[in-house]
Amino acid sequence: MFLDRILSPGRKEQEVVELMERHLKILLSAFALFKTALENQDKGSMIGVADLEREADEVRREIIGRIYAGAFLPYLRPSLCQFVEMAEHIFDALKETAGRFMDLDLPAAIQEETHAVSALNLQMAEMLETTFEAMLQGEDLREKMLAIRIFEKKIDEIKLHLGRELWDIPVASFWEGKALSDFVTGLTTISDIMEDASDRLQIIHVSMR
Amino acid sequence: MWTLGSGAFLGWSLGANDSANIFGTSVMTGLIKYRTAILLTAVFVIVGALLEGPKCMRVMNDLSRIPAGYVFFCTLAAALTMTALTVLGIPASTSQAIVGAVLGAGIVTGNADFSKLYKIVSCWVLTPVAGLVLGYLLHHLLGFLLNRTVTGVAARNMLFTAGVLVFGCYASYCLGANNVANVTGIYVGSGLLTPQQASSWGGAFIAVGVLTYSRRVMLTVGKGIVPLDPFSALVCLLAEALTLHLFTQIGVPVSSSQAVVGAVVGVGLVSDLKTVNPRMLLKIFMGWVLTPVSAGVVTVVFLKLLV
Repeated sequence: MFLDRILSPGRKEQEVVELMERHLKILLSAFALFKTALENQDKGSMIGVADLEREADEVRREIIGRIYAGAFLPYLRPSLCQFVEMAEHIFDALKETAGRFMDLDLPAAIQEETHAVSALNLQMAEMLETTFEAMLQGEDLREKMLAIRIFEKKIDEIKLHLGRELWDIPVASFWEGKALSDFVTGLTTISDIMEDASDRLQIIHVSMR
Repeated sequence: MWTLGSGAFLGWSLGANDSANIFGTSVMTGLIKYRTAILLTAVFVIVGALLEGPKCMRVMNDLSRIPAGYVFFCTLAAALTMTALTVLGIPASTSQAIVGAVLGAGIVTGNADFSKLYKIVSCWVLTPVAGLVLGYLLHHLLGFLLNRTVTGVAARNMLFTAGVLVFGCYASYCLGANNVANVTGIYVGSGLLTPQQASSWGGAFIAVGVLTYSRRVMLTVGKGIVPLDPFSALVCLLAEALTLHLFTQIGVPVSSSQAVVGAVVGVGLVSDLKTVNPRMLLKIFMGWVLTPVSAGVVTVVFLKLLV
Protein backbone atom coordinates (compact mmCIF):
# COMPACT_ATOMS: atom_id res chain seq x y z
CA MET A 1 0.00 0.00 0.00
CA PHE A 2 2.90 2.34 0.76
CA LEU A 3 4.57 1.58 -2.60
CA ASP A 4 1.23 2.04 -4.31
CA ARG A 5 1.00 5.52 -2.85
CA ILE A 6 4.50 6.42 -4.00
CA LEU A 7 4.15 5.03 -7.53
CA SER A 8 0.61 6.27 -8.26
CA PRO A 9 0.18 9.50 -6.32
CA GLY A 10 -3.31 10.97 -6.47
CA ARG A 11 -4.91 8.02 -8.27
CA LYS A 12 -7.28 7.13 -5.42
CA GLU A 13 -8.22 10.77 -4.94
CA GLN A 14 -8.95 11.13 -8.66
CA GLU A 15 -11.21 8.09 -8.59
CA VAL A 16 -13.15 9.48 -5.64
CA VAL A 17 -13.50 12.86 -7.35
CA GLU A 18 -14.85 11.19 -10.50
CA LEU A 19 -17.37 9.22 -8.45
CA MET A 20 -18.49 12.35 -6.61
CA GLU A 21 -18.94 14.14 -9.95
CA ARG A 22 -20.99 11.20 -11.18
CA HIS A 23 -23.08 11.32 -8.00
CA LEU A 24 -23.87 14.98 -8.60
CA LYS A 25 -24.64 14.36 -12.28
CA ILE A 26 -27.22 11.73 -11.26
CA LEU A 27 -28.65 14.29 -8.82
CA LEU A 28 -29.01 16.80 -11.64
CA SER A 29 -30.70 14.19 -13.83
CA ALA A 30 -33.13 13.43 -11.01
CA PHE A 31 -34.02 17.11 -10.59
CA ALA A 32 -34.47 17.54 -14.35
CA LEU A 33 -36.69 14.44 -14.52
CA PHE A 34 -38.73 15.63 -11.55
CA LYS A 35 -39.25 19.08 -13.10
CA THR A 36 -40.32 17.64 -16.46
CA ALA A 37 -42.64 15.05 -14.91
CA LEU A 38 -44.20 17.68 -12.64
CA GLU A 39 -44.80 20.13 -15.50
CA ASN A 40 -46.34 17.40 -17.66
CA GLN A 41 -48.23 15.82 -14.73
CA ASP A 42 -46.54 12.59 -15.86
CA LYS A 43 -46.63 10.12 -12.96
CA GLY A 44 -45.10 7.39 -15.11
CA SER A 45 -41.91 9.39 -15.61
CA MET A 46 -41.83 10.44 -11.96
CA ILE A 47 -41.11 6.81 -11.01
CA GLY A 48 -37.70 7.30 -12.65
CA VAL A 49 -36.64 9.52 -9.73
CA ALA A 50 -36.64 6.51 -7.39
CA ASP A 51 -34.56 4.54 -9.89
CA LEU A 52 -32.00 7.34 -10.05
CA GLU A 53 -31.93 7.50 -6.26
CA ARG A 54 -31.07 3.80 -6.09
CA GLU A 55 -28.29 4.28 -8.62
CA ALA A 56 -26.96 7.21 -6.59
CA ASP A 57 -27.00 5.04 -3.46
CA GLU A 58 -24.62 2.59 -5.11
CA VAL A 59 -22.28 5.38 -6.10
CA ARG A 60 -22.41 6.86 -2.60
CA ARG A 61 -21.38 3.57 -1.00
CA GLU A 62 -18.52 3.29 -3.48
CA ILE A 63 -17.35 6.84 -2.66
CA ILE A 64 -17.34 6.35 1.09
CA GLY A 65 -15.67 2.97 0.80
CA ARG A 66 -12.88 4.41 -1.33
CA ILE A 67 -12.40 7.43 0.88
CA TYR A 68 -11.86 5.28 3.94
CA ALA A 69 -9.74 2.82 1.96
CA GLY A 70 -7.10 5.55 1.82
CA ALA A 71 -8.08 8.41 -0.47
CA PHE A 72 -7.43 11.93 0.77
CA LEU A 73 -5.90 13.05 4.04
CA PRO A 74 -7.62 11.66 7.15
CA TYR A 75 -8.16 15.31 8.12
CA LEU A 76 -10.36 15.80 5.04
CA ARG A 77 -12.25 12.52 4.97
CA PRO A 78 -15.07 13.32 7.43
CA SER A 79 -15.95 16.56 5.61
CA LEU A 80 -15.99 14.84 2.21
CA CYS A 81 -18.16 12.03 3.54
CA GLN A 82 -20.52 14.52 5.15
CA PHE A 83 -20.96 16.28 1.81
CA VAL A 84 -21.74 12.99 0.10
CA GLU A 85 -24.24 12.11 2.84
CA MET A 86 -25.90 15.49 2.42
CA ALA A 87 -26.22 14.86 -1.31
CA GLU A 88 -27.85 11.57 -0.36
CA HIS A 89 -30.31 13.43 1.89
CA ILE A 90 -31.18 15.67 -1.05
CA PHE A 91 -31.89 12.55 -3.08
CA ASP A 92 -34.02 11.06 -0.31
CA ALA A 93 -36.05 14.26 0.02
CA LEU A 94 -36.55 14.41 -3.74
CA LYS A 95 -37.60 10.75 -3.90
CA GLU A 96 -40.11 11.18 -1.08
CA THR A 97 -41.54 14.28 -2.73
CA ALA A 98 -41.83 12.37 -6.01
CA GLY A 99 -43.57 9.59 -4.09
CA ARG A 100 -46.09 12.05 -2.64
CA PHE A 101 -46.80 13.33 -6.14
CA MET A 102 -47.87 9.83 -7.16
CA ASP A 103 -50.66 9.94 -4.56
CA LEU A 104 -52.32 13.18 -5.60
CA ASP A 105 -53.65 15.31 -8.42
CA LEU A 106 -51.90 18.65 -8.18
CA PRO A 107 -54.52 21.43 -7.81
CA ALA A 108 -54.39 24.08 -10.53
CA ALA A 109 -54.16 26.84 -7.91
CA ILE A 110 -50.64 25.88 -6.91
CA GLN A 111 -49.29 24.43 -10.14
CA GLU A 112 -47.48 27.58 -11.19
CA GLU A 113 -45.71 27.99 -7.84
CA THR A 114 -44.73 24.32 -7.62
CA HIS A 115 -43.31 24.44 -11.15
CA ALA A 116 -41.35 27.55 -10.19
CA VAL A 117 -39.92 25.85 -7.08
CA SER A 118 -39.02 22.78 -9.12
CA ALA A 119 -37.18 24.95 -11.66
CA LEU A 120 -35.35 26.81 -8.88
CA ASN A 121 -34.35 23.51 -7.27
CA LEU A 122 -32.84 22.41 -10.57
CA GLN A 123 -30.90 25.66 -10.92
CA MET A 124 -29.74 25.37 -7.34
CA ALA A 125 -28.52 21.82 -7.95
CA GLU A 126 -26.61 22.99 -11.03
CA MET A 127 -25.01 25.74 -8.96
CA LEU A 128 -24.13 23.16 -6.28
CA GLU A 129 -22.34 21.10 -8.91
CA THR A 130 -20.50 24.18 -10.16
CA THR A 131 -19.51 25.04 -6.60
CA PHE A 132 -18.18 21.51 -6.10
CA GLU A 133 -16.00 21.81 -9.22
CA ALA A 134 -14.77 25.21 -8.08
CA MET A 135 -13.93 23.80 -4.65
CA LEU A 136 -11.83 21.08 -6.27
CA GLN A 137 -9.85 23.71 -8.17
CA GLY A 138 -9.36 25.80 -5.05
CA GLU A 139 -11.28 28.75 -6.49
CA ASP A 140 -13.08 31.37 -4.44
CA LEU A 141 -16.57 30.08 -3.63
CA ARG A 142 -18.16 33.26 -2.34
CA GLU A 143 -20.10 34.24 -5.46
CA LYS A 144 -21.43 30.75 -6.00
CA MET A 145 -22.44 30.45 -2.35
CA LEU A 146 -24.26 33.76 -2.68
CA ALA A 147 -26.11 32.51 -5.76
CA ILE A 148 -27.22 29.42 -3.86
CA ARG A 149 -28.48 31.55 -1.00
CA ILE A 150 -30.40 33.76 -3.42
CA PHE A 151 -32.11 30.70 -4.91
CA GLU A 152 -32.96 29.45 -1.44
CA LYS A 153 -34.44 32.81 -0.48
CA LYS A 154 -36.63 32.84 -3.60
CA ILE A 155 -37.90 29.37 -2.76
CA ASP A 156 -38.61 30.47 0.81
CA GLU A 157 -40.75 33.36 -0.51
CA ILE A 158 -42.73 31.02 -2.76
CA LYS A 159 -43.07 28.57 0.13
CA LEU A 160 -44.69 31.29 2.24
CA HIS A 161 -47.14 32.06 -0.54
CA LEU A 162 -47.86 28.39 -1.15
CA GLY A 163 -48.62 27.89 2.51
CA ARG A 164 -51.36 30.52 2.35
CA GLU A 165 -52.73 29.10 -0.93
CA LEU A 166 -53.09 25.64 0.59
CA TRP A 167 -55.58 26.93 3.18
CA ASP A 168 -58.06 27.71 0.40
CA ILE A 169 -57.78 24.38 -1.41
CA PRO A 170 -60.66 22.01 -0.62
CA VAL A 171 -59.72 18.39 0.15
CA ALA A 172 -61.90 15.29 0.28
CA SER A 173 -60.20 13.75 3.30
CA PHE A 174 -57.49 14.21 5.92
CA TRP A 175 -55.10 11.92 4.01
CA GLU A 176 -55.56 13.82 0.75
CA GLY A 177 -54.77 17.02 2.58
CA LYS A 178 -51.79 15.42 4.27
CA ALA A 179 -50.41 14.10 0.99
CA LEU A 180 -50.70 17.55 -0.55
CA SER A 181 -49.11 19.20 2.48
CA ASP A 182 -46.27 16.67 2.54
CA PHE A 183 -45.66 17.17 -1.16
CA VAL A 184 -45.41 20.96 -0.83
CA THR A 185 -43.27 20.71 2.32
CA GLY A 186 -40.91 18.23 0.69
CA LEU A 187 -40.63 20.28 -2.49
CA THR A 188 -39.75 23.47 -0.59
CA THR A 189 -37.30 22.02 1.97
CA ILE A 190 -34.98 20.34 -0.51
CA SER A 191 -33.38 23.75 -1.01
CA ASP A 192 -32.49 23.95 2.70
CA ILE A 193 -30.51 20.73 2.43
CA MET A 194 -28.76 21.97 -0.70
CA GLU A 195 -27.78 25.16 1.08
CA ASP A 196 -26.32 23.10 3.95
CA ALA A 197 -24.42 21.00 1.41
CA SER A 198 -22.92 24.14 -0.12
CA ASP A 199 -21.82 25.25 3.37
CA ARG A 200 -20.04 21.92 3.73
CA LEU A 201 -18.15 22.62 0.51
CA GLN A 202 -17.03 25.94 1.95
CA ILE A 203 -15.75 24.15 5.05
CA ILE A 204 -13.73 21.74 2.90
CA HIS A 205 -12.39 24.67 0.89
CA VAL A 206 -11.32 26.60 4.00
CA SER A 207 -9.79 23.59 5.76
CA MET A 208 -7.30 23.10 2.95
CA ARG A 209 -6.07 26.70 2.91
CA MET B 1 33.33 -3.70 24.32
CA TRP B 2 30.99 -4.55 27.18
CA THR B 3 30.95 -0.85 28.01
CA LEU B 4 28.96 -0.32 24.81
CA GLY B 5 26.05 -2.05 26.51
CA SER B 6 24.95 1.09 28.33
CA GLY B 7 25.42 3.12 25.15
CA ALA B 8 23.15 0.66 23.38
CA PHE B 9 20.59 1.16 26.13
CA LEU B 10 20.89 4.94 25.83
CA GLY B 11 20.60 4.84 22.06
CA TRP B 12 17.56 2.61 22.35
CA SER B 13 15.96 5.09 24.80
CA LEU B 14 16.72 7.99 22.49
CA GLY B 15 15.22 6.22 19.52
CA ALA B 16 12.12 5.24 21.46
CA ASN B 17 11.64 8.76 22.81
CA ASP B 18 12.71 11.15 20.08
CA SER B 19 11.41 9.44 16.97
CA ALA B 20 7.92 10.51 18.03
CA ASN B 21 8.94 14.11 17.37
CA ILE B 22 9.25 13.31 13.70
CA PHE B 23 6.23 11.33 12.64
CA GLY B 24 4.17 11.58 15.82
CA THR B 25 1.53 13.99 14.53
CA SER B 26 1.43 12.29 11.12
CA VAL B 27 0.82 8.88 12.65
CA MET B 28 -1.83 10.20 15.00
CA THR B 29 -3.75 11.94 12.21
CA GLY B 30 -3.52 8.75 10.15
CA LEU B 31 -1.48 10.37 7.41
CA ILE B 32 1.17 7.67 7.60
CA LYS B 33 1.09 4.24 9.12
CA TYR B 34 3.09 3.62 12.27
CA ARG B 35 5.11 0.82 10.66
CA THR B 36 6.08 2.98 7.67
CA ALA B 37 7.03 5.84 9.99
CA ILE B 38 9.39 3.79 12.11
CA LEU B 39 11.04 2.11 9.12
CA LEU B 40 11.77 5.44 7.43
CA THR B 41 12.97 6.95 10.69
CA ALA B 42 15.34 4.05 11.38
CA VAL B 43 16.91 4.14 7.92
CA PHE B 44 17.47 7.89 7.79
CA VAL B 45 18.67 8.13 11.39
CA ILE B 46 21.47 5.74 10.47
CA VAL B 47 22.30 7.71 7.32
CA GLY B 48 22.43 10.98 9.27
CA ALA B 49 24.57 9.47 12.00
CA LEU B 50 27.07 8.12 9.48
CA LEU B 51 27.33 11.27 7.36
CA GLU B 52 27.30 14.07 9.98
CA GLY B 53 27.30 12.36 13.37
CA PRO B 54 30.94 13.12 14.27
CA LYS B 55 30.33 16.89 14.12
CA CYS B 56 28.77 17.02 17.59
CA MET B 57 30.99 14.54 19.41
CA ARG B 58 33.68 16.87 20.64
CA VAL B 59 31.44 18.88 22.95
CA MET B 60 31.05 16.01 25.47
CA ASN B 61 34.80 15.77 25.76
CA ASP B 62 35.01 19.48 26.49
CA LEU B 63 32.76 19.17 29.57
CA SER B 64 34.84 16.63 31.38
CA ARG B 65 37.48 13.98 30.73
CA ILE B 66 35.69 10.78 31.59
CA PRO B 67 37.93 7.84 32.43
CA ALA B 68 37.19 4.78 30.31
CA GLY B 69 35.97 2.90 33.36
CA TYR B 70 33.32 5.55 34.12
CA VAL B 71 31.82 5.71 30.63
CA PHE B 72 29.60 2.70 31.19
CA PHE B 73 28.03 4.20 34.32
CA CYS B 74 27.54 7.64 32.77
CA THR B 75 25.64 6.30 29.80
CA LEU B 76 23.78 3.84 31.99
CA ALA B 77 22.62 6.63 34.29
CA ALA B 78 21.48 8.72 31.31
CA ALA B 79 19.75 5.70 29.76
CA LEU B 80 17.90 4.80 32.96
CA THR B 81 16.72 8.38 33.32
CA MET B 82 15.50 8.43 29.72
CA THR B 83 13.78 5.06 30.09
CA ALA B 84 11.97 6.10 33.25
CA LEU B 85 10.69 9.28 31.59
CA THR B 86 9.72 7.36 28.44
CA VAL B 87 7.71 4.85 30.46
CA LEU B 88 5.96 7.77 32.15
CA GLY B 89 5.17 9.20 28.71
CA ILE B 90 7.14 12.40 29.31
CA PRO B 91 9.11 13.61 26.26
CA ALA B 92 12.67 13.89 27.61
CA SER B 93 15.95 15.20 26.28
CA THR B 94 18.84 12.81 25.83
CA SER B 95 21.16 15.77 25.38
CA GLN B 96 20.33 17.01 28.86
CA ALA B 97 20.49 13.52 30.32
CA ILE B 98 23.98 12.79 29.02
CA VAL B 99 25.26 16.26 29.92
CA GLY B 100 23.85 15.80 33.42
CA ALA B 101 25.55 12.40 33.62
CA VAL B 102 28.89 13.70 32.32
CA LEU B 103 28.87 16.55 34.79
CA GLY B 104 27.92 14.16 37.55
CA ALA B 105 30.96 12.06 36.67
CA GLY B 106 33.02 15.21 36.45
CA ILE B 107 31.96 16.19 39.98
CA VAL B 108 33.08 12.78 41.26
CA THR B 109 36.44 12.92 39.45
CA GLY B 110 36.91 16.59 40.21
CA ASN B 111 37.55 17.69 36.61
CA ALA B 112 34.15 18.99 35.56
CA ASP B 113 34.53 22.13 33.45
CA PHE B 114 31.37 24.13 34.02
CA SER B 115 32.66 26.98 31.87
CA LYS B 116 32.03 24.84 28.79
CA LEU B 117 28.44 24.49 29.90
CA TYR B 118 27.78 28.03 28.76
CA LYS B 119 27.81 27.15 25.05
CA ILE B 120 25.72 24.02 25.59
CA VAL B 121 23.08 25.69 27.77
CA SER B 122 22.89 28.61 25.32
CA CYS B 123 22.13 26.15 22.54
CA TRP B 124 19.50 24.42 24.71
CA VAL B 125 17.79 27.74 25.30
CA LEU B 126 18.08 28.75 21.65
CA THR B 127 16.71 25.43 20.37
CA PRO B 128 13.03 26.10 21.08
CA VAL B 129 13.52 29.73 20.10
CA ALA B 130 14.96 28.68 16.75
CA GLY B 131 12.11 26.21 16.33
CA LEU B 132 9.59 28.94 17.13
CA VAL B 133 11.11 31.48 14.75
CA LEU B 134 11.48 28.97 11.94
CA GLY B 135 7.97 27.64 12.50
CA TYR B 136 6.49 31.12 12.38
CA LEU B 137 8.46 32.27 9.33
CA LEU B 138 8.04 29.06 7.35
CA HIS B 139 4.28 29.07 7.97
CA HIS B 140 4.01 32.53 6.43
CA LEU B 141 6.48 31.91 3.61
CA LEU B 142 5.27 28.47 2.55
CA GLY B 143 1.64 29.54 3.00
CA PHE B 144 2.25 32.47 0.67
CA LEU B 145 3.87 30.23 -1.95
CA LEU B 146 1.25 27.53 -1.63
CA ASN B 147 -1.70 29.87 -2.09
CA ARG B 148 -0.17 31.14 -5.32
CA THR B 149 0.86 27.82 -6.82
CA VAL B 150 -1.12 24.84 -5.56
CA THR B 151 -4.78 25.64 -4.99
CA GLY B 152 -6.72 22.47 -5.87
CA VAL B 153 -7.85 20.13 -3.11
CA ALA B 154 -6.45 16.99 -4.72
CA ALA B 155 -3.13 18.68 -5.58
CA ARG B 156 -2.70 19.99 -2.04
CA ASN B 157 -3.63 16.60 -0.68
CA MET B 158 -0.84 15.04 -2.74
CA LEU B 159 1.61 17.76 -1.74
CA PHE B 160 0.95 17.35 1.97
CA THR B 161 1.24 13.58 1.76
CA ALA B 162 4.54 13.77 -0.13
CA GLY B 163 5.78 16.59 2.07
CA VAL B 164 5.29 14.63 5.26
CA LEU B 165 7.31 11.74 3.86
CA VAL B 166 10.14 13.91 2.51
CA PHE B 167 10.41 16.24 5.48
CA GLY B 168 10.03 13.32 7.86
CA CYS B 169 12.99 11.57 6.26
CA TYR B 170 15.00 14.79 6.43
CA ALA B 171 14.10 15.24 10.09
CA SER B 172 15.13 11.65 10.80
CA TYR B 173 18.45 12.30 9.09
CA CYS B 174 18.95 15.43 11.23
CA LEU B 175 18.03 13.50 14.38
CA GLY B 176 20.71 10.94 13.63
CA ALA B 177 23.26 13.59 12.67
CA ASN B 178 22.70 15.70 15.79
CA ASN B 179 21.83 13.21 18.51
CA VAL B 180 24.17 10.29 17.85
CA ALA B 181 26.78 12.25 19.80
CA ASN B 182 24.55 11.94 22.88
CA VAL B 183 24.66 8.17 22.59
CA THR B 184 28.29 7.39 21.78
CA GLY B 185 30.12 10.73 21.81
CA ILE B 186 31.36 10.03 25.31
CA TYR B 187 33.16 6.90 24.05
CA VAL B 188 35.16 8.99 21.59
CA GLY B 189 36.34 11.32 24.34
CA SER B 190 37.46 8.36 26.43
CA GLY B 191 39.33 6.85 23.50
CA LEU B 192 37.20 3.72 23.35
CA LEU B 193 35.84 4.39 19.85
CA THR B 194 36.76 6.44 16.79
CA PRO B 195 34.19 8.99 15.65
CA GLN B 196 33.15 6.81 12.71
CA GLN B 197 32.76 3.74 14.90
CA ALA B 198 30.78 5.77 17.38
CA SER B 199 28.51 7.08 14.60
CA SER B 200 27.89 3.57 13.26
CA TRP B 201 27.12 1.99 16.60
CA GLY B 202 25.14 4.97 17.84
CA GLY B 203 23.01 5.13 14.71
CA ALA B 204 22.26 1.44 14.94
CA PHE B 205 21.26 1.67 18.61
CA ILE B 206 18.92 4.59 17.93
CA ALA B 207 17.34 2.72 15.03
CA VAL B 208 16.62 -0.27 17.26
CA GLY B 209 14.90 2.00 19.78
CA VAL B 210 12.78 3.52 17.04
CA LEU B 211 11.73 0.12 15.76
CA THR B 212 10.93 -1.47 19.11
CA TYR B 213 9.51 1.06 21.61
CA SER B 214 8.48 4.37 20.05
CA ARG B 215 4.70 3.88 19.89
CA ARG B 216 3.75 5.14 23.33
CA VAL B 217 5.58 8.48 23.21
CA MET B 218 4.43 8.90 19.62
CA LEU B 219 0.84 8.83 20.89
CA THR B 220 1.63 11.44 23.57
CA VAL B 221 3.41 13.89 21.31
CA GLY B 222 0.96 13.35 18.47
CA LYS B 223 -2.16 14.36 20.29
CA GLY B 224 -1.09 16.29 23.34
CA ILE B 225 0.20 19.69 22.32
CA VAL B 226 -1.67 21.55 19.60
CA PRO B 227 -4.35 20.43 17.18
CA LEU B 228 -2.60 20.82 13.84
CA ASP B 229 -3.96 20.98 10.30
CA PRO B 230 -1.91 19.17 7.63
CA PHE B 231 -0.06 22.28 6.48
CA SER B 232 0.91 23.32 10.01
CA ALA B 233 2.10 19.79 10.77
CA LEU B 234 4.32 19.93 7.70
CA VAL B 235 5.76 23.29 8.71
CA CYS B 236 6.50 22.04 12.24
CA LEU B 237 8.34 19.06 10.84
CA LEU B 238 10.49 21.19 8.56
CA ALA B 239 11.20 23.76 11.28
CA GLU B 240 12.28 21.00 13.67
CA ALA B 241 14.56 19.43 11.07
CA LEU B 242 16.18 22.75 10.15
CA THR B 243 16.75 23.56 13.82
CA LEU B 244 18.50 20.24 14.43
CA HIS B 245 20.57 20.61 11.29
CA LEU B 246 21.57 24.14 12.29
CA PHE B 247 22.88 23.03 15.68
CA THR B 248 24.63 20.08 14.07
CA GLN B 249 26.71 22.58 12.12
CA ILE B 250 27.38 24.51 15.36
CA GLY B 251 28.53 21.21 16.88
CA VAL B 252 26.18 20.93 19.84
CA PRO B 253 23.66 18.10 20.26
CA VAL B 254 20.30 19.55 21.19
CA SER B 255 16.86 18.28 22.01
CA SER B 256 14.54 17.42 19.14
CA SER B 257 11.68 17.61 21.67
CA GLN B 258 12.47 21.23 22.40
CA ALA B 259 12.81 21.98 18.70
CA VAL B 260 9.41 20.55 17.86
CA VAL B 261 7.68 22.25 20.79
CA GLY B 262 9.17 25.55 19.69
CA ALA B 263 8.01 24.91 16.14
CA VAL B 264 4.50 24.04 17.28
CA VAL B 265 4.28 27.20 19.39
CA GLY B 266 5.61 29.24 16.46
CA VAL B 267 2.92 27.83 14.20
CA GLY B 268 0.35 28.36 16.94
CA LEU B 269 1.34 32.04 17.09
CA VAL B 270 0.39 32.40 13.44
CA SER B 271 -3.19 31.40 14.13
CA ASP B 272 -4.17 31.55 17.77
CA LEU B 273 -2.17 31.33 21.01
CA LYS B 274 -5.10 29.59 22.70
CA THR B 275 -4.53 26.49 20.60
CA VAL B 276 -1.48 25.61 22.74
CA ASN B 277 -2.24 23.00 25.42
CA PRO B 278 -0.66 24.37 28.64
CA ARG B 279 -0.88 21.08 30.50
CA MET B 280 1.16 19.24 27.93
CA LEU B 281 3.70 22.05 27.77
CA LEU B 282 4.02 21.89 31.55
CA LYS B 283 4.65 18.17 31.35
CA ILE B 284 7.40 18.77 28.85
CA PHE B 285 8.99 21.51 30.92
CA MET B 286 9.01 19.16 33.90
CA GLY B 287 10.95 16.69 31.82
CA TRP B 288 13.50 19.30 30.89
CA VAL B 289 14.20 20.05 34.56
CA LEU B 290 14.04 16.50 35.82
CA THR B 291 16.23 15.00 33.11
CA PRO B 292 19.68 16.52 33.73
CA VAL B 293 19.25 16.63 37.49
CA SER B 294 18.12 13.00 37.69
CA ALA B 295 20.86 11.80 35.37
CA GLY B 296 23.52 13.67 37.36
CA VAL B 297 22.31 12.31 40.68
CA VAL B 298 22.11 8.75 39.36
CA THR B 299 25.63 9.00 37.94
CA VAL B 300 27.04 10.24 41.23
CA VAL B 301 25.29 7.44 43.09
CA PHE B 302 26.60 4.82 40.64
CA LEU B 303 30.17 6.06 40.81
CA LYS B 304 30.21 6.45 44.58
CA LEU B 305 28.73 3.02 45.21
CA LEU B 306 30.04 0.87 42.39
CA VAL B 307 33.41 2.25 41.35
